Amino acid sequence: MNKNILYIFLFACIFSACEKDDICLLPTTPKLILRFYDSTNPTEFKSVTNLSIWAEGKDTIPNYKSVSLDSIAIPLNTNTTQTVYHFKTSATGNKADNKYNTFTLSYTTEEIYVSRSCGLKAFFNTVTITSDNGWFQSFTPNSLTTINNETSAHVKIYH
Amino acid sequence: MLKYIISLFILAVSFNGISQTKDTITYKAPYGLRLGIDISKPIMGMIDSNSSGIEFVADYRISKNWYVAAEFGNQKERTVEDYTTSTAKGNFIKIGFNYNAYQNWLDMNNEIYVGLRYATSIFDQTVDSYRINTGSDYFVSNTTTSSTTTRDLNAHWTEFVMGIKVETFKNLYLGFSFNYKIMLSLKHPENFKTLYVPGFNRVFETETGFGFNYTISYTIPFVNK
Repeated sequence: MNKNILYIFLFACIFSACEKDDICLLPTTPKLILRFYDSTNPTEFKSVTNLSIWAEGKDTIPNYKSVSLDSIAIPLNTNTTQTVYHFKTSATGNKADNKYNTFTLSYTTEEIYVSRSCGLKAFFNTVTITSDNGWFQSFTPNSLTTINNETSAHVKIYH
Repeated sequence: MLKYIISLFILAVSFNGISQTKDTITYKAPYGLRLGIDISKPIMGMIDSNSSGIEFVADYRISKNWYVAAEFGNQKERTVEDYTTSTAKGNFIKIGFNYNAYQNWLDMNNEIYVGLRYATSIFDQTVDSYRINTGSDYFVSNTTTSSTTTRDLNAHWTEFVMGIKVETFKNLYLGFSFNYKIMLSLKHPENFKTLYVPGFNRVFETETGFGFNYTISYTIPFVNK
């Protein structure tokens, strides 16, 4: 009887000892997701050739250095209320064919607690988007109430 | 064969009878209030600068194997995580009972016990600093130092205790116990989480916790039974 109590107690301790809150597996600050569409055929995706992306005053994002993609996810700066991105494309890869576009996002940040290991994340609210339309023909929408997930594209870009 | 068994049985019965009539010394066990202190907390405080606290223990023997037991104290603990640093500070009390499952020899008063406690704590939690988890290392978020304190948070939980107590000198006991805690109710600060509760220790994701103590305690004997 007494032994049984001890065993039950030991088992309870051993089996409850596995904890999963040391590794962050929950979604944190969402990235801005952009999808590129064909401006002549707006329902079709169109890859951007030799795309490079960098934020104002920073190096090129390592994942987006002369790549050909129709969908990208880029972080927004949580320390400021504005992030300016530069998009470079080149149809041939030659420097002479480089085309540039500046894309500016203004927003307010909202800090949300996630968990012990994930800490806090930020949501971006009342987002307004402007573009100098260098090689972007147009984009939609030009304002968003919030960026709080990464489940679908936030902005469609036609080029 | 049967003969031997019968004679052995008679022999056993007769010895039994003799022992019953001759060895009737009964050992009296002390009943009283036992008071003690957890020595692990001050030691942890010296080793780990993020931790400081004190815990007193007390129990009172109510029958041969049953004790009413309590622990109380205070604790201040700084929890450093990847993105947040927070400090919990407050008082706790635990009340319950222990059952001694150890059969003592003669006049020894040692214990191997299991126990159950109800415990509660009232505490403050301060967010010392934090930075946003941006999910990428392209923009490194600034660390914000704050001192947002949420006062009068409370927690209620149950503890399953298992431990030993050894009488080293007359009425002086050394003890070790280990406990497993299950949270019943816990208040969290707004837009943050209670990561540590005094007395409960680290609050795991499943709202369970672990603890232990090393105690030195002294029995003030009231009666010997």
